[in-house]
Amino acid sequence: MPDKPSNLFQGTPDMLILKTVALEPMYGYGISVRIEQMSRGVFRLNAGSLFLAIQRLERDGLIEGEWKPTENNRRARYYSPTEKGRKRLNNETREWGRQVAAIARILEAS
Amino acid sequence: MSLLRNTVSGLRSLFRKKQVDRELDEELRAYQEMATEEKMKQGMNRQGALRAVRLEQGSLVAAKEIVRSGRWESFVEMFWQDLRYALRRLRMVPAFTIATILTLALGIGATTSIFTLVHSVLLKSLPVASPGELYRLGKESRCCYQGGYSQENEFSLVSYDLYKYLRNNTEGFSELAAFPALEHVFGFRRAGTSEAAQSSPGELVSGNYFSMFGIRAYVGRMLTDADDQPNAPPVLVMSYRLWQERYGSDPSVIGSVLNLNDKPFTVVGITPPGFFGDSLRSSPPDFFLPLNTEPFVESDADLNKVDTHWLELIGRIQPGANSASIEAAMRVELKQWLRSHWGEMSANDRARFPEQTLYLRPGGAGITSMREQYEHWLQILMMVSGFVLLIVCANVANLMLVRGMERRRQTSLSMALGAQTTRILSQPLSESVLLSLFAGAAGLVIAFACTDVILHFAFPTFAGFASVPISASPSKPVLLFAFVVSLLTGVAFGIGPAWMATRVDPIEALRGGSRSTGDEGSLPRKALVVFQAAFSLVLLSAAGLLTAALQRLENQDLGFVQDGRIVASMDPRLAGYRSDQLPTLYRRIHDSVASIPGVSSVALCQYSPVGYGWGAGIWVDGQPAPGPKDDNSAAWDRVSAGYLQVIGTPIVKGRGISEEDTETSRKVAVINEAFARKFFKNEDAIGKHFGKEAGNSRQYEVVGIAKDARYLTLDRSDRAFFFLPEEQADYTQTNMGSLFLHDIVILIAPGARLSDTQIRQAMASADPNLPILSIRTLKEKVATQLTQQRLIARLTSLFGVLALILASIGLYGVTAYNVGRRTSEIGVRMALGASQGDVVRLVLRGAFLLIALGLILGIPLSLAASRVLNSQLYGLNPYDPAPIAIAVVVLGLFGFLATLIPTRRATKVVPMVALHYE
Repeated sequence: MPDKPSNLFQGTPDMLILKTVALEPMYGYGISVRIEQMSRGVFRLNAGSLFLAIQRLERDGLIEGEWKPTENNRRARYYSPTEKGRKRLNNETREWGRQVAAIARILEAS
Repeated sequence: MSLLRNTVSGLRSLFRKKQVDRELDEELRAYQEMATEEKMKQGMNRQGALRAVRLEQGSLVAAKEIVRSGRWESFVEMFWQDLRYALRRLRMVPAFTIATILTLALGIGATTSIFTLVHSVLLKSLPVASPGELYRLGKESRCCYQGGYSQENEFSLVSYDLYKYLRNNTEGFSELAAFPALEHVFGFRRAGTSEAAQSSPGELVSGNYFSMFGIRAYVGRMLTDADDQPNAPPVLVMSYRLWQERYGSDPSVIGSVLNLNDKPFTVVGITPPGFFGDSLRSSPPDFFLPLNTEPFVESDADLNKVDTHWLELIGRIQPGANSASIEAAMRVELKQWLRSHWGEMSANDRARFPEQTLYLRPGGAGITSMREQYEHWLQILMMVSGFVLLIVCANVANLMLVRGMERRRQTSLSMALGAQTTRILSQPLSESVLLSLFAGAAGLVIAFACTDVILHFAFPTFAGFASVPISASPSKPVLLFAFVVSLLTGVAFGIGPAWMATRVDPIEALRGGSRSTGDEGSLPRKALVVFQAAFSLVLLSAAGLLTAALQRLENQDLGFVQDGRIVASMDPRLAGYRSDQLPTLYRRIHDSVASIPGVSSVALCQYSPVGYGWGAGIWVDGQPAPGPKDDNSAAWDRVSAGYLQVIGTPIVKGRGISEEDTETSRKVAVINEAFARKFFKNEDAIGKHFGKEAGNSRQYEVVGIAKDARYLTLDRSDRAFFFLPEEQADYTQTNMGSLFLHDIVILIAPGARLSDTQIRQAMASADPNLPILSIRTLKEKVATQLTQQRLIARLTSLFGVLALILASIGLYGVTAYNVGRRTSEIGVRMALGASQGDVVRLVLRGAFLLIALGLILGIPLSLAASRVLNSQLYGLNPYDPAPIAIAVVVLGLFGFLATLIPTRRATKVVPMVALHYE
């Protein structure tokens, strides 16, 4: 495991965010913690990049937000994927799988 | 879809900025709170946790900026902010702002005004359905009649017979319409009313003319093929303008009878308001009648003359048809038609048969004779106004540079504090774009007024006639043009100063060194003054050349006398005269007008100078017949006895046309010197014979030679010309066009005065039904020939003066600014013993160096401009040094005046005060 969080995906965290909120509707900080946990600390988003990506996803109609109270009785905006967002996620996941498999085949060729 | 959502969301955050920002704030704060709580759970105290979160995540403000920069609308916001700042800054310097806007408005207005004309005359299509489908016959416009079976270069005019042949045999056209190349004027009167006869231009058109253009009637119906048959009842369509202005949009006009040249026509419809026919003309037609009514309404009919070519063709091609293949098919048809008339063709026609061809060209703009006529001078004016705009830009750029210098400290401070270069750049730029847009709006007003005046002078309207269908009010393309020009202007004069602003060294500027000796940093400003001086010189010398050419045209020896002559115009055809009635009418008019007190003598002619003449091919007795390539052309005029004396053309040899030339005496002609030179070389022409019909070389005997005169155009007097006596005309030739005399030239006795009313009364006593088309002095008539020339000269002079003033202001500004900056230096110099004279020399040397550089650059530019103007100079040497020399002197003088005030201020510098400065 690298010492520092990887910024390989800093530029395109959109799919990771989409996947996170697809598991369960989540607010900003929660998304960031989830991604860090799920990637076991490899990816970490700071507030700026996170909300920039959220804004982009929302404007593209892939997620939508709703103000709701949190477990600690704080008000937060919960994001969940739209129908279009779910479809996009499925497509991207499949595409990603294909690419990873292809790259792996190339790298493992002897 | 997502673009739409993005736009909607962007607009939402733009208009509900507060709420969107508040929501973002809340989310970010929640994020921070949660992160802090998380840290506190791990055992940090609150303060430590907050600090850790900030270190990890960066400040909230920075995060907010990042999110915001991801929105497209943030650019709008930034732009909006810049505009608001620019507006505020401009409000603080009202004098600068107003002066700049006015200067710019003059430049933009002048350019836009000329563009309005360029657009209407050179670029616009006819206001008809799908003009892109229209094609016309001929590469160039040609006027107005071509005889025989061959045409030079291209067959561009056709006879009615050839038109029918082409129309019936060409596939690919959905409609092919024909109309005469020459504009006709008709006398008209509503039948059964007592209104006086009036005259208006009208056009004979083929029955499919309106369906070809896709024009529907405003009221009633348009003409159809059924109307255009030899025995169809005569009908006409009236223009909206005439219907509205003359008949107050009276619906009863439709269906009523209108007498045209005293022949009854039923009005069947009114054309739609914007329609002005097939070509842009100074007076668009007010009537459209079927071609087949020509023999009915015109005494001299061309319709059934197979070899008289007088019709233009415009056709609408079928969708998907190829114009090139239609053209090829029509060329074959032309040859077939010519071959079918082989028997009637002359030897010359047969010799030229192989090279006969035709061209089909896009016809969406209609017949473009006006375009060809005005193209060159519009280009000149466009160039001239472009120069003015450049000078304006240079001037304003200079002002902006000075402003930039004054703002230097502020800019340095901003840069030292870390402002982005783009933001620094965008400030002066948004200021200049704002200024130029305001100026553009003001310029539109100037352009409107200016175009109105130009139209008025360029296309004088005759009472009762329609005016040229060009509107001074800005159309969409013109508005777009003004906007783009303003924007470009703003960037052009703003980018330099803006760029300069970013180049300041913060340390240098903050040190506050406003003390200066050299000219450091003033190079761009000086370059702009040099550039202005050079362009002003170009404009001034162009104005000088054009004015000199105009004066030469006005003051040259015309070969006839302008003063003390009045020309009354009529058209006996409009009153329904037949050719055999004409001799009596001419006699009555002559006697009646001659009896007005104060009239010294009177003569009638077909065309008085300057303008028209009939053309003819000359066959000289005793010389070989002219070959197909020989130029044997000459112009002629039919005149009554004493005509040459009345217009004051001296007889060089022999005699003029006189009373002794009667119907029964030998047929004579008076030729001019150019005719004698062209056809008789060194021989004595008197007593020789020539003719103007093929094979008939003994038609006329030369009895006199008149001095060369400028009858056809003012720039040339060397065209062969001859005069024939009216008394000897063959009035048995039914209704031949050349039998109808148009002009009555009246020589007023010295000291006498003559009113229009007297002339009208005298004409009315000859025949009350005869409409008088115009009464004006010969001087006025000659002057109208120079309208276009005068307009260009005046506009160029106006622009030249404008340029001169702007350049002087520019020079004044730079000199004054430099003197201001160098006040302390001058003080030191004076303290060290420099005299006032030394100071004057110092300042003047600086200023005149700039002017001198401008002149050195400007002289070759002026010479290049003269080359472009050459065709408008009518023989004046384009490299005439006088106009350039005068322009140089004038520019130098104004430059001197402009530097005088700053120089005086420099000499008044008191050393002690100057050294205490700052």
